[in-house]
Amino acid sequence: MLDLQTGGAEPVVRLRNVAKRIGGRTIIDNLTFDVPTGEVFGFLGPNGSGKTTTIRMMVGLMRMTSGEILIKGRSIRHEYEAAVRQVGAIVENPELYRYLTGYQNLVHYARMIPSVTKARIDEVVELVGLAARIHDKVKTYSLGMRQRLGVAQAILHRPALLILDEPTNGLDPAGIRELRDYLRHLAKNEGTTVFVSSHLLSEMELMCDRVAIIQSGRLVDVRPIRDGETGAGKAEVLFEVDRPDAAAEALGGAVLRAESGGVVVSAGREEAADINARLVAAGVRVYGIRTVTKSLEDQFLEVTGGGRIG
Amino acid sequence: MKIYRRVRTWIMLAIVLVIPLGISIGAMALDDTPNMWFYSYLEAEVVGSLVTIFAVVIAADSVAGEFSSGTIKLLLIRPWSRSKILLSKYIATLLFVIFFLALVFLFTLLVNGVMLGSGGGYSYPNQGSRSHFVWLSAYYGLNLIEMIVTVTMAFMISTVFRSGSLAIGLSIFLLMGGSMMAALLSLVDKPWVDYVLFMNLGLAEYVSGSTPLPDRPFGFSLAVLAGYYAIFIALSWVVFNRRDVAA
Repeated sequence: MLDLQTGGAEPVVRLRNVAKRIGGRTIIDNLTFDVPTGEVFGFLGPNGSGKTTTIRMMVGLMRMTSGEILIKGRSIRHEYEAAVRQVGAIVENPELYRYLTGYQNLVHYARMIPSVTKARIDEVVELVGLAARIHDKVKTYSLGMRQRLGVAQAILHRPALLILDEPTNGLDPAGIRELRDYLRHLAKNEGTTVFVSSHLLSEMELMCDRVAIIQSGRLVDVRPIRDGETGAGKAEVLFEVDRPDAAAEALGGAVLRAESGGVVVSAGREEAADINARLVAAGVRVYGIRTVTKSLEDQFLEVTGGGRIG
Repeated sequence: MKIYRRVRTWIMLAIVLVIPLGISIGAMALDDTPNMWFYSYLEAEVVGSLVTIFAVVIAADSVAGEFSSGTIKLLLIRPWSRSKILLSKYIATLLFVIFFLALVFLFTLLVNGVMLGSGGGYSYPNQGSRSHFVWLSAYYGLNLIEMIVTVTMAFMISTVFRSGSLAIGLSIFLLMGGSMMAALLSLVDKPWVDYVLFMNLGLAEYVSGSTPLPDRPFGFSLAVLAGYYAIFIALSWVVFNRRDVAA
């Protein structure tokens, strides 16, 4: 098992100055980032920001105009077969052969990769929970089931890197949750690095260890997600009170802003208790105290500066 | 593998086998002195064009179908180069053509041999001292060459335009219109006419003594076809390897 905490292992994917121009329009502009081994890595951007294009270049469906993508140190340009051997992917929708059964689809893909055994196919089918319907034709499947089959074909050969393009599209809440748990399981127990693209911010927040945010083909930010939740440092705390102005007066300069029904203070855990005591002493009635976690969505809109397309 | 999992392939196969069977039964009922060799030839002519059409459908769908269903993406991200994937598709298509033609050949011979016998003393045009079997085999062989060129053309259209219906339509149109164009062009007395693909597609005529191009030898037609074949293949490969897959 790889050491996830330090991230000391070599990144699974390295993008170096990747650019894609189509007819004078720059779709992807100088993208450079690493995807650390064994993480669930989110790739976030508004519609038309170049997520899918980037993924297509990562799996060699599109050529890049300049730059380099290395998968486990192998160039997708020059050592395509060796590089892509490490990758399992669904690009956009899971498109499978509708006139074949789920099982025949898997056999078909398994034949294209040496080392996939019959036992492995059965194992994967079990893993994605399709055992009951695997011998039905794909055209009778629901979108959620096709998603599962798509995941199944992508992990057949135990890839080091699993790339999923908008995997939660068309899934019901239960399906999304299952997929999320499943991806985390893969990353944790099999050491698979998962690269997920999405524009569903809240979803990314729950699923990923780290997100890269892209807009208009440019990398805006790469940031870890879970750090904020560990409780270290200060957070914004909202005190629900009956008289916000009186509360603000009692606390003085510590107040960040007063809202209707409460005041927001920047405070750590202990400080929050002290502030509460001061408010109560000042005769302000406190109805509730909670931290205002800035959701990824806020951060996202903040860094991308609102939702301009492309 | 995928070709044979589809219902339509088996329907095609059934059609290709039922038609000669029907002709043979009709011959047994109506012809007083039925000859197995004559009817095998007749059936080969009728069914041959059908096999060509079916083969074109398969070839046209081979690459374009993957694009229109989007499965090409999952196919291309396997650890194989694009050339190898295209090659395997092409080989699968050719095997299909050969399989069908061989099946028709053996089936008609068997059915006619059992049902009709060789009454009436029929001999093929320009048969000479060759046996019936050799003549018919040569006919099939030349048909196969023709078919391979046609199928390769359909395969190329399929690869370049990524549209199955366009590839089927265009190939069949060229096949039908081709013979018409050939008839028209043969009236034109210019040397370049001899190099037009359709002028050389009537290869099977050689076996019966006539030629599509009266003043050109067999080898000439073969060379022209080979030239077109090379162009089709090269174009398929270059386009398939270079293209960005955005669908």
